[in-house]
Amino acid sequence: MMKIWWIESWAEAKRWASCSFLASLLSASVAWSEPSGAEIYRTLCVECHGPQGEGVAGKYDETLHGDLDFEELARRIAETMPEEQPELCVGDEARAVAHYIHETFYSHEARAQLMPVRVDLSRMTVKQYVNSVADLVGSFREARDQGQPAAEIGLQGNYFKTHNLRRNEAAFERIDPAISFQFGEGSPDSEQIGVEEFSIRWRGGLTAPETGDYEFCLKTENGARLWVNDEETPLIDGWVSSGAEPRQERGVVRLLEGRVYPVRIEYFKFKDKTASLEFWWKPPHRPEEPVPPAVLSPGRVSEVMVVTTEFPPDDSSAGYERGTSVSQAWHNATTRAAVEVAARVEKNVRELSGVSSEESDRAAGLQDFAIRFVERAFRRPMSPEDKRFFVADRFAETPEDPDLAIKRTILLALKSPRFLYLEAGRAEPDSFDVASRLSYALWDSLPDPELVKAAKAGALDSPVEIENHARRMLDDPRTHAKIRGFFHHWLNMEEGEDVTRDPKTFPGFDQALLADLRESLEQFLDHVIWKGSGDFRELLLADYLFLNGRLARYYGVETAAEDQFEKVAFDPAQRAGVITHPYLLTAFSYHKSSSPIHRGVFLTRKVLGRALKPPPMAIEFMDSRFDPSLSMREKVAELTKSENCMGCHSVINPLGFSLEYFDAVGRFRTEENGKPVDAASDYATLAGEILRLRGPRDVAEHAAASAPSREGFIQQLFAHVVKQPIAAYGPGAAERLRVSFEASGCNIRDLIVDMAALAARHELPEHRKLAYHENP
Amino acid sequence: MRIPDRRTFLREFGLSAAALPFVAGLPGLARGAQGAPSRQRLIIVFSPNGIVPPVFWPDETGEEFTLKPILEPLSPFRERLLILRGVANKVRGDGDSHMRGMSCLLTGKELFPGNIQGGSDTPAGWCSGISIDQELRNYYQERSETRARFGSLEFGVCVPKRADPWTRMVYAGPNQPVAPVDDPYLMFEKLYGQMKDRESLRSILDEVVEDLRRVRARIGTEDRRLLEEHETFVREMEMELAEGGNRTWDVPPPQLEDNVANDNDSMPALAKMQIDLLVNALRNDMSRIATFQFTNSVGGARMRWLGIEEGHHALSHDPDLNAESQEKLTKINVWFCEQVAALAGRLAATPEPGGEGSMLDHSLIVWTNELGKGNSHTLQDIPFVLLGNGFGFRMGRSLAFEQVAHNRLWLAIAHAAGHAIETFGNPGLCEGGALDLVSA
Repeated sequence: MMKIWWIESWAEAKRWASCSFLASLLSASVAWSEPSGAEIYRTLCVECHGPQGEGVAGKYDETLHGDLDFEELARRIAETMPEEQPELCVGDEARAVAHYIHETFYSHEARAQLMPVRVDLSRMTVKQYVNSVADLVGSFREARDQGQPAAEIGLQGNYFKTHNLRRNEAAFERIDPAISFQFGEGSPDSEQIGVEEFSIRWRGGLTAPETGDYEFCLKTENGARLWVNDEETPLIDGWVSSGAEPRQERGVVRLLEGRVYPVRIEYFKFKDKTASLEFWWKPPHRPEEPVPPAVLSPGRVSEVMVVTTEFPPDDSSAGYERGTSVSQAWHNATTRAAVEVAARVEKNVRELSGVSSEESDRAAGLQDFAIRFVERAFRRPMSPEDKRFFVADRFAETPEDPDLAIKRTILLALKSPRFLYLEAGRAEPDSFDVASRLSYALWDSLPDPELVKAAKAGALDSPVEIENHARRMLDDPRTHAKIRGFFHHWLNMEEGEDVTRDPKTFPGFDQALLADLRESLEQFLDHVIWKGSGDFRELLLADYLFLNGRLARYYGVETAAEDQFEKVAFDPAQRAGVITHPYLLTAFSYHKSSSPIHRGVFLTRKVLGRALKPPPMAIEFMDSRFDPSLSMREKVAELTKSENCMGCHSVINPLGFSLEYFDAVGRFRTEENGKPVDAASDYATLAGEILRLRGPRDVAEHAAASAPSREGFIQQLFAHVVKQPIAAYGPGAAERLRVSFEASGCNIRDLIVDMAALAARHELPEHRKLAYHENP
Repeated sequence: MRIPDRRTFLREFGLSAAALPFVAGLPGLARGAQGAPSRQRLIIVFSPNGIVPPVFWPDETGEEFTLKPILEPLSPFRERLLILRGVANKVRGDGDSHMRGMSCLLTGKELFPGNIQGGSDTPAGWCSGISIDQELRNYYQERSETRARFGSLEFGVCVPKRADPWTRMVYAGPNQPVAPVDDPYLMFEKLYGQMKDRESLRSILDEVVEDLRRVRARIGTEDRRLLEEHETFVREMEMELAEGGNRTWDVPPPQLEDNVANDNDSMPALAKMQIDLLVNALRNDMSRIATFQFTNSVGGARMRWLGIEEGHHALSHDPDLNAESQEKLTKINVWFCEQVAALAGRLAATPEPGGEGSMLDHSLIVWTNELGKGNSHTLQDIPFVLLGNGFGFRMGRSLAFEQVAHNRLWLAIAHAAGHAIETFGNPGLCEGGALDLVSA
């Protein structure tokens, strides 16, 4: 395919070379006026690239769009274009055509002019849907110690002298940090409790660190039950013991990250020879392990409505999940989910509505509840007409059965575009839209009562009011969860899931170690973003890692910590923030060896914010094809040496090579394959400057000081937070964010507040001056 | 012809216009009757606390026998009955008689040692084996010609909300008790739930469309495309909801009485609802194996509708000489027998779908109990009353064995289903092989 393509363009160039115009270009002695960039483009380039650089199917079908500056573009054209006859366009001609291309359609600015981007109507993403439902139903539950994970760790334990948890046989109560007990043939307390029989109830909250399916396990030879996020039906019913051997009773439940769930364990021993109980789980991305005390809290919390309906994944082709398209599968999922939610609300209607079944005017009470439910779902008060349409008519349809009316109201509300879409059908945004924009930007969920109150009171109009709310909302587990999601995406953390390493080359590298590495990176991010400086540059420059005992031993350093993770300082030449975090170095490696290409692509796109086209052809790296005495660097250089590859690999390779000090599990090394590591090379920055990179620290320092790197970060974070491209918020929006970001000392927390506030203010009537794109 | 509007059309199409896409693709649903072998169904009915032997067992054996008062409700089915006396639950080990009577009844195997203390003997845990219904379920589900949407259905009536060896007789395997569903509304949900949801969805369809149009009218032209696309999906849902007919089920689901409380006093209504659901599910070939559990071992139903205030279990402890108690126990057992008769009557009155004769001709009901007699807690002479012609046994007889292990009865039933296992449950209790219920 590639071959045919260049022959065609070569033939084209030859045919073209015979015309007199070419003669004029090649001969300086002829007194023709210098051709304009547009003319050169039409003559030499348009056949393959199309009139607006949009590409031509079968010739070159990628759009000509990128972030090279004019000088660099001119250099590339002079060296490589037209294909196979680059000498046809060099010097001033190359500069002229580069200028034309750059100004007309190549640069971001030119593209923004060509096709102005606007804020598109969007449905909720899957995460937004699931969170909205959880908060919608949750807003009607009794507020207990909801929301914030409690400071105290462990579960509240009540101990009883006999086997049936009878209150009048209570012995004592205490908080148990870990549910891990080997009573043997003894009892929990030899003075107060006998050995033949006893029982214990633990209760409290459990915080889910990630969204996904959690498998819980009770290991005991006695009787035990477990309830998680369902106070009625046990997840595990292991009340009956069978034989003296400990059993493993299991159950799976789906939980959403950053939320606290009610958990209860009941346990008893009766005449069994021995007694023991272990409480284990297998959370997403981790091997099975004892439930860590840090996720347990002794306070009482309420159930969370977790939708279990499977949704199709959101479109993330633009680099972030967005809701600007709909599909049959999505529509069906919203139907099934609406049925699921309606059934759950119907089942718990007494608790949620506060209307008891004996109440004389139960229907009126439920109707009132239904109105509040729909208003919260729609994130604004309803007009009398809407109240009739969504609620009163449903109750009038089934006067004998208000429960059915509730169910139908909820189905209708959750199927409405007013719930499913953000800002569907409003000519001009109002305070309720501001509230929604803030809550979806920061929480991916509905506004909380404070926001709604402010919107109703008209106290959500001024930039200061908006920013104050954004700042208040920042320190909520939902914001933390959302931002963690961004970093997972930004750092391509999914690349590291389930990776394995050759056991002969890397003995001791197993799934438990990989899970620890992931945790180490999470703790680093959490530390910098939320607990520490918040400085973006520290993410790149930090010379420390968070390690537990196992990781410290594997990476050859000392720490006193065993189970918990502690900050361990490294030689700054060796470690530089996320660039050298061993989880990522491992993720961007092969089974047996490092991968400078994967590492280089990651650094180019994510850390330095540069655009890369997809490779023109897929070439697999096959280690066996190379002379085994070569170093990895030599193999990659050989593989990518062609002109075709070097367009991108001239950028990728120097960056990737700078990390050759790290093997496939991210351990520091000075030798590879018996040779000293060569990590130094010259790298051309976006500005055309040549930089000597000698190792990771040089890359980190360049990235930390580089404006494009920050711009790239801001752009990607904005898209993740707002689910719209930043260009839709006006040509100056990205620049304004960058300026205030730098003024704040590159503070990520301030940046998030800024972004949410910017999106919230968009096209507000009193802020018209901020809008650049007016609909005619 | 008047063209009805959508709503009228849907309403008139009614409940049976259901559900193809929600349930299509499930095994056993779309299969035509053509070429399918004759169905064979097993229904095991349990009632607790033993029976009253003098008014239960016929005096005679063989084809000439007279039904005693407790079995009198089965007289319309006399020729289709096989009454087996002298079959014993010989499983020993941990657990009291009520526990073993229950948890070893369908399994024929010992309980694991455990932490549940009964009225006597040592504490015990769950059973160490699979129950016969689940054994046959697995056998049927492995074969495409006998596979059904639900391999088995476990019905209950007034079963307490605790899981222990007294409340569970069905075991999917060692340590794997299966809970019966004793709430008819939940059972309906399990069998036909998606259909009810569809009914609710149909009821709001017009409003969904109207709402979407109103929102669409208020948005800018650039964004309308998305909502227009959305609307096409709503239309497709509308068509899907209207389509379907009742191709998937031979008969529509039963109409259940509304708002029946799941409590002791509603037991007669609950039993009727569960029987309706069972017969309906069998007609629609949702399952070929079912169990039907009244209360539990040691069950304490208070049959006030018979004028009996005392709990069943307490009465069953009274001595034989207490004539009043014996009379009450007889009445209680007659009531249970009437339920079996009602089930058999429904099956006998229903033509076999896609086959010959009635459903009872293709079914076998086994009515049993955890004890022979309540006040002695004996595990001898466990009542086994077989009813129906589905398994090819020679019916219309009363037989008396000499306390043979009940494992051999389960072997006979497995063999009659085509499942040629050599032992079932504790192999030591299978000596002599399957009981001969065909020739002898």
